[in-house]
Amino acid sequence: MILEFLKMNGYGIYIWLSYGFVFLSCSIVYFKVLRTLKKYENAYKNELMKLDAKDRDKIAKNSKVARYVLSSLKETV
Amino acid sequence: MFKFFSPSKLFKIIDWIINSIQSTFFLFLITGLTFALVISPPDYLQSESVRIMYVHVPAAWLSLSIFSVMTILSLLNYIFKIKNFKIFNKCLAPIGLLFSATAVITGSIWGKPTWGAWWVWDARLTSMIFLMLLYLIFIITLKFIKKDNLALMIISILSLIGVVNLFIIKYSVEWWNTLHQPASITLKGDISVHSSMLIPLFIMLIVFIVYSALIFLMKYKTEIIKMKKKNLNRL
Amino acid sequence: MLTKNVKSRLFFISIFLIAILCITIIFTNILKENLLYFKTPTEIKLEDKNNLKKLYRLGGLIKENSIKISGQKINFIVTDKKNEIFVTFEGPVPNLFLEGKGVVAEGKLVDNNYFIANKILAKHDENYKPPNDGNKK
Repeated sequence: MILEFLKMNGYGIYIWLSYGFVFLSCSIVYFKVLRTLKKYENAYKNELMKLDAKDRDKIAKNSKVARYVLSSLKETV
Repeated sequence: MFKFFSPSKLFKIIDWIINSIQSTFFLFLITGLTFALVISPPDYLQSESVRIMYVHVPAAWLSLSIFSVMTILSLLNYIFKIKNFKIFNKCLAPIGLLFSATAVITGSIWGKPTWGAWWVWDARLTSMIFLMLLYLIFIITLKFIKKDNLALMIISILSLIGVVNLFIIKYSVEWWNTLHQPASITLKGDISVHSSMLIPLFIMLIVFIVYSALIFLMKYKTEIIKMKKKNLNRL
Repeated sequence: MLTKNVKSRLFFISIFLIAILCITIIFTNILKENLLYFKTPTEIKLEDKNNLKKLYRLGGLIKENSIKISGQKINFIVTDKKNEIFVTFEGPVPNLFLEGKGVVAEGKLVDNNYFIANKILAKHDENYKPPNDGNKK
């Protein structure tokens, strides 16, 4: 029965080829975008941590995003 | 040490949407695939190969609609000089390229068992390839041309060419004899797809839309952080 | 909101769009021959018959009850409901090559009514439905 499902009445190769292509290309794009996001998030965090506490405070007060990234950092530490 | 009770609303919402899509996307995907591969019936003429439609058609629709959105954004950007729209375009263009390539390649795979050829140079297929190229030039321009005004100019011109191309893609099957069949679902509301196939099609369309929203928001978040990092360096 | 600069840019964009439109219309008119992937039997019959070496693509519906298979050869009639052309083809045909359905044949004309194809493509229509629903429509 499973074999029959895979064969798809003889059209199996075309169907699985196209679904496989879509799945693969979409996953590759997703993981690439995720990696870039994590890379920049970490780089930003690191730069924030390099500053001394006073400056960091000041930035956190002014920038909501900085505050948010720092808060997520605090959770993970 | 830090008290963070009200982080940026927009940023937080984006983050929340990303997280909720990431945790539920599997569900969408499984539902869509079950409908597309198991529940939906084979076609009376094309038999099982009709299932390729459920990835081919949503990808094609989305690649066209993303280009129309990008056109509107870049023209507004050019006319009113709204900076933010460039970032939107930067996030949208790769998704459009992915979907136009998906439409072309799955279409090609679909063509072999139904038409009897992987590829023919009819008007619909050629204009779709042209759309893919436009997306590619769009991305290259956004990435490598640092002069803002020049990039904006090129992008606006590309969008204008693209918008004419969009109409050619849409109406090529009506204006000229093509091997590609005419639209099954028209803007006028004529639907020549049976409901048992229409439902899987729309579920797959939703899956594709959710996926593009996820990619778009993740890319947008990256751009925000990039900008913040630049501001930090300036300090 | 509509400052002078905005207006000038708006003007530029509209002129540009009109220009692109005009160019496209002119080019599609010039290239009309090439944009048509195939010709219908009626159009083929109007062709210059001195040019028999030219490769044509003939498209239309396969006439009901017209497919005749004799050995390797397949004979059928392509119709656009006004004119008909006899086609001969040798080789494998796509699964969707069926009577009453669309077809595109690539090949050469022998005379006004006779076409020898060297490639056959099936053209299906925009209707999708499950098999048992075929009769209801």
